[in-house]
Amino acid sequence: MSQKEEKMSTYLEGERVPHFRSLSGIEYKEVYRRSEWNGELPDPGEYPFTRGIHPDMYRGRLWTRRQQSGFGTPEESNERIKYLLKVGQTGINMDADVGTKLGLDPDYPLAQADVGLQGTSLSTYEDMRVLYKDIPLDQVSSTLIINPPYSAVIMAQYLLLAKERGIPWEKLIGTIMNCALTQLIGPTYQAQISFFPIDLTVKIGLDVMEYMVPRSPRWNIVNINAYNVRETGVSAPQEVAFSMSLAADYIRRLTKRGLEVDSFARRMAFFSAAHIDLFEEVAKLRAMRRIWARMLKEKFGAKNEKSLWFRTAIQTSALPLTAQQPLNNIVRATIQTLAAVLAGTQSIHTTGYDEAYSLPTEESHKLSIRTQQVIAYETKVVNSADPLGGSYLVESLTDQIEEQSLELMKLIEDKGGFIQCFKEGWVEEQVNEARYKMAEAIETGDHPVVGVNIFREEEEDLKINIFRHATDMQAKRIRYVQEYRKNRNEEPVKRALENLYDLVRRKPEVNLFEPIMEAVEARATLQEICDAMRRATDFVIPS
Amino acid sequence: MAFKGKRFIVGKLGLDGHDNGLRIVSKWLTDSGYEVVYAGLYNSTKRIVQIALEENANAIGISFLGGEHLFYAHQLMNELHQNEMEDVKVVLGGVIPPDDVRELKGLGVHAVFTPGTPKRKILDTIDSLFQ
Repeated sequence: MSQKEEKMSTYLEGERVPHFRSLSGIEYKEVYRRSEWNGELPDPGEYPFTRGIHPDMYRGRLWTRRQQSGFGTPEESNERIKYLLKVGQTGINMDADVGTKLGLDPDYPLAQADVGLQGTSLSTYEDMRVLYKDIPLDQVSSTLIINPPYSAVIMAQYLLLAKERGIPWEKLIGTIMNCALTQLIGPTYQAQISFFPIDLTVKIGLDVMEYMVPRSPRWNIVNINAYNVRETGVSAPQEVAFSMSLAADYIRRLTKRGLEVDSFARRMAFFSAAHIDLFEEVAKLRAMRRIWARMLKEKFGAKNEKSLWFRTAIQTSALPLTAQQPLNNIVRATIQTLAAVLAGTQSIHTTGYDEAYSLPTEESHKLSIRTQQVIAYETKVVNSADPLGGSYLVESLTDQIEEQSLELMKLIEDKGGFIQCFKEGWVEEQVNEARYKMAEAIETGDHPVVGVNIFREEEEDLKINIFRHATDMQAKRIRYVQEYRKNRNEEPVKRALENLYDLVRRKPEVNLFEPIMEAVEARATLQEICDAMRRATDFVIPS
Repeated sequence: MAFKGKRFIVGKLGLDGHDNGLRIVSKWLTDSGYEVVYAGLYNSTKRIVQIALEENANAIGISFLGGEHLFYAHQLMNELHQNEMEDVKVVLGGVIPPDDVRELKGLGVHAVFTPGTPKRKILDTIDSLFQ
């Protein structure tokens, strides 16, 4: 058929979507009736919290508007944070650059071209001081997006900053992401083994959790990163099962250290995706709440109700966003944000429409906040808790996702847990398979994407503004860290690093957080601290 | 077909680890008859060119995401020039703004593919480099 004929036949027969499967391959029924679902449904705020962790949900308090930010130098990021707070952001979501996430200083040769591109460059204690200039650490909550073992260094910088400002640690509010294995672009094996020994990575993540729990009771010790898993293209049940299994591994290992599950479980939170299949995403998050509550109660014997609360930050998935006709992304992100709200999440980052081109411009960042504000204040969807609860469709989808997730969790547990599966390469295989399937579904049109495989416009002119980094930013950071090392008192740095080296070499089982913090306090840089531990384990990094 | 058996070195330069696109395009290349040497993440330009030299490669494919493409493309083209490897085709892809696509082509990069480019177009363009 020619394009014209095809169009004519569409007019005659009406438009149809190619199939009725969910994004994860679940077949939607033509109509859902009571016969599909007639189960028990405890109220919001009641175990197993399918309908939400609070009885009043957004009536009591809206979700936190937490746009991820961070680029260039800490000075530039501090300016952007203040801008976001000014236009209505209610929490900070601080992203570090790739070098920081791999424990490299800006002047490391392989790191130089990536400095400040995808997050802010953090190396020294003074960087943290600049990043949080004029921001009250005890009044605005902060999420620090950084993975182990580097999370120990960044957390130490943050704690020392609080100390310097006279803010008691028990008053700090926020989250350290601190999730081993899934931070670096989902569960990519090579990313996890190239810059630090993998077992020591996991161990130091747990050290951070163990250190923070008794000292900073309002601080979240980990955000289990389901989002980055999902962004590789896996299904909703895989997102659930992988992240829950990893959480179970953390819980087992912390209790093995002698910690009571109720002492830390309420400070574990998640970071999940909101993809474009609205009902499936709502169902997924409802299923996650139920799985977490039951797992904590039945498997790990938690007694404190707060331990059973599945709390999650949401970022709207970037996978459905397109470079083609980028304004369409505003519509997509709005629907994804709505899904997160209907699901009863704790905080949201709405991804920018310019995602397929660059970091968000100020304009795009503001629009993300306004999107959330329109949903919060104008649409009335916040007026009742779990507004989709009791829908035959949503309830039966929730059951289905729960069932598929539990099945996969069982499989992972039988294979020795998520960390074991990751190290054996099984997770990587699953992820790669999902990636190819995702690409194929877009190629064949099985997964329609407006502007890409349907309603595409060739020779499109791009009309949006694109964010550009300052041209001298990288050179500035490289100079800064080199001068920093020259101008400090060398003796305490040397002592602290030698102490850390000795501990990792001789007594790696001790909690390494304090010795790492001592090195930060002595003015050692991020990479110097990591290099001391690398040397102690004879670990060589790519050059 | 002229392109059958042509050898591609495929990888990422620097620290960015976003490799969804790289993995997918590598598979498409393999499926359509190219030989792909997957260099993976965390390569320096020198290393990629070294591999290309050792493997007697016909093309290098690099994917970018974070805005590091101009820096590395300059470095890569220089490195190839210094090694008298101008016959090696350079194909780039990823999150690259339109103005930069023009600049990259100006540097002598043979093809640039941005998000949403259909498989057919990618493969046809690459095939035509070997006609």
